[in-house]
Amino acid sequence: MKSIDTSIYTAVTEAIRGEAKRLLSEGQISVIVGYVAGRRTGSAQPIVVTNAADAAILIFTPACVNNLAVYLTKAKKEIPKSGKIGIIVKGCDLKALVGLMGESQLKREDLYLIGVPCAGVLASTMQPAAGLTADTIAPKCRECDAHLPTGCDFVPVAALPPQLQLEGVYTAEIARLEALTSAERWAYWKEQFAKCIKCYACRQVCPFCFCEQCLCDRNKPQMVETTPRPAGNTAWHIVRAMHLAGRCAGCAECERVCPMDIPLNLLNRKMAKELKELFDYEAGFEVNEKSPLTTFTEKDDQSFIK
Amino acid sequence: MQKYISQQNLNILLDKLIAEGTRVVAPRMDAGTPLYEPLKNSGEMLTDQLPRRSAKEAFFPVCEEIMSYEKERQQITLTDVDPARFPETVLVGVRPCDAAAIPVLDAVFSWDYKDEFFLERRKKTTIIGLACTIADDACFCTAVGLSPSDTRGSDLFLTPLEGGGYACETYSDKGETLINNHSGLFTRQSKTKTLPLAEPQTEQIDLKKVKKWLDEHFEDPLWDGNAVRCVGCGACAFVCPACHCFDIVDEGTEKAGKRRKNWDACGFWKFTHHASGHNPRDLQPKRYRNRIMHKFKYYDDKFGQTLCTGCGRCVRICPVGIDIAAIVEDISRKD
Amino acid sequence: MDHIIQKDFEPKIIAFVCTWCTYAGADLAGTSRMQYPANVRVLKFPCTGRIDPVFILKAFQQGADGVLVSGCHPGDCHYIAGNFHARRRFAAFRKLLEFVGVDLERLQFSWVSAAEGGKWVEVVTDLTEKVREMGPMVEFKELALEEQWSGTIDTPELKEAYNQI
Repeated sequence: MKSIDTSIYTAVTEAIRGEAKRLLSEGQISVIVGYVAGRRTGSAQPIVVTNAADAAILIFTPACVNNLAVYLTKAKKEIPKSGKIGIIVKGCDLKALVGLMGESQLKREDLYLIGVPCAGVLASTMQPAAGLTADTIAPKCRECDAHLPTGCDFVPVAALPPQLQLEGVYTAEIARLEALTSAERWAYWKEQFAKCIKCYACRQVCPFCFCEQCLCDRNKPQMVETTPRPAGNTAWHIVRAMHLAGRCAGCAECERVCPMDIPLNLLNRKMAKELKELFDYEAGFEVNEKSPLTTFTEKDDQSFIK
Repeated sequence: MQKYISQQNLNILLDKLIAEGTRVVAPRMDAGTPLYEPLKNSGEMLTDQLPRRSAKEAFFPVCEEIMSYEKERQQITLTDVDPARFPETVLVGVRPCDAAAIPVLDAVFSWDYKDEFFLERRKKTTIIGLACTIADDACFCTAVGLSPSDTRGSDLFLTPLEGGGYACETYSDKGETLINNHSGLFTRQSKTKTLPLAEPQTEQIDLKKVKKWLDEHFEDPLWDGNAVRCVGCGACAFVCPACHCFDIVDEGTEKAGKRRKNWDACGFWKFTHHASGHNPRDLQPKRYRNRIMHKFKYYDDKFGQTLCTGCGRCVRICPVGIDIAAIVEDISRKD
Repeated sequence: MDHIIQKDFEPKIIAFVCTWCTYAGADLAGTSRMQYPANVRVLKFPCTGRIDPVFILKAFQQGADGVLVSGCHPGDCHYIAGNFHARRRFAAFRKLLEFVGVDLERLQFSWVSAAEGGKWVEVVTDLTEKVREMGPMVEFKELALEEQWSGTIDTPELKEAYNQI
């Protein structure tokens, strides 16, 4: 199977270690959020490093799947938020950070962004020892337009080796579903949502699900059934997709972390597609204080309104 | 006494049970995910994949109704669920890490309150275990005192043989009854060798030493260091064969609704949220500490057992790569 | 999908309306003694901008066969811009519902002003008759009867419960 060229990841790792050590020892940042190797061969996990000496354990590999932006939101109170925070970001992660800045959750001057040129990461870290190939690469990476993050404070290695052109899967799958009848679509999603067990992994890893109390956790009033049965699960996923519309940056973490393999990113990509068509909105690297559902124009589409 | 059953006869047995109206639950593919689910026919059963969730849900459902209410004007009717309606079940293809967790759960569900929902289902279920010939680097059953051929929890245990078929051994009356009811399908064990069993690459952890460290280190930087990455979802608790916390909720409308018992997880921030607004485990390190403590200390204190069977599911699906085996190994190496 | 075709099916239509325009328009229809189907249950909100998509979802879940959302014409909102926000929100939400498999013929949006009693009658009648043709909305009702396999006991009582919804 065709493998993806990740030869630069070693150089990226070295550069990250050097930069992190420099920043921490010079006191330019108080903490850096990055990745470290796990026990299982080829695995990686997020880490918060506060001493310069520990900078030597930071890595960047195809198993560095996590969107670290989630650790900077107000939902994660455990990360010390004083002083400047360094963070390792792939292109997709940076889009999420940019979105958070647009929502006044973060200030650019409080962050030191270390952008990584990324050829792709694994679709799933259930078996992290797998090499990065066209089969094991994350679906989101196949249609990535953000291999090289821009606007960062430091980008180790300014260019990526030529990449394999891979066909995206989301566009095709969304088109396939759109071509079905309502009843067929309902049956598809019913089968998928029936697997959901309301573990809320999708919500907890999402950088945009930072509400102090999620609407779906409230019972006065109760808007969504909490029981993990098909009716409750369908309501949960519809509400979440709607709350992310116009905000989701497409990091697809929700889909990756779902223990039941529910194709959640299809919902988010569909909404992104609609918002692009309806209101010309797209998540990107520029901070945008105007999100599509908090603004309006006099000439918005109302063809569906009598 | 050891018996033998061929793959074909096993299929015949399962199809016979299904035809009789017994619910036969085994690993099967559900919309692309392997899960323990009721089979429609024996052909659906998977023998080469570990289901994403454990077998505990046959006794401790993901969500179950325990009572329903109806209100007609001022008249309120409450209806309890009748445990006599729980179906007769045969659980087959249960891995040792899943089967061994069931007797561990028996302790808590028959402790100060006898949970009839769990216990009635237990009474009506026969468990057929299956030895493992494959393991991956997340499996660590051997580290916690189990093995790919451990028979704890199984009423009948199958070991795959070279050339096909299984050696079977019974460990309870239920197992004996099952064989006797279908004696034509089982023959005397021939001298065929078993297939090589899986060999998880983990060394036995000294659980007593780990417990002693936990007894003495309620406050320790280890908790902050490890929990800082935990995002507080319930994935680990839900896929775990041994985790058993639940929430009782009343959901419905003014006119009708149900009281349900749903899975809950100590990782959720609301898990210990009091009605007063106080939350003793308000930060993730405190919640993660509770997880490790419960599994490797509190359950041992109460019931003399470890609340972990080393199946490795939590390690595989943790969104942030938390590796409980690595944490416990670390603790066992501390002085 | 089978469902028993009930000859006496009366659609349940839930209408989420704004106080200042549509509700007043509906009131005018009433004082003018205009006749229209009595299937509609009206829920009054200060403004369409207050109508959370989750209310529409809940209406369908709790047995509505059709849902109407109606408010002031753009530019006439009592709160200046509420209906502009609602317009965008509903444009997005209906796409989501459609993608999940809900038939959008059951969900209607309209602008009905306080003077448009006639339009209110027209909109409500159209939706009611359309939904009557389509039959009851069974998707959510059937969904509500499903449990995880581990919590399922048996089915005869569930069929009875279905008919009571």
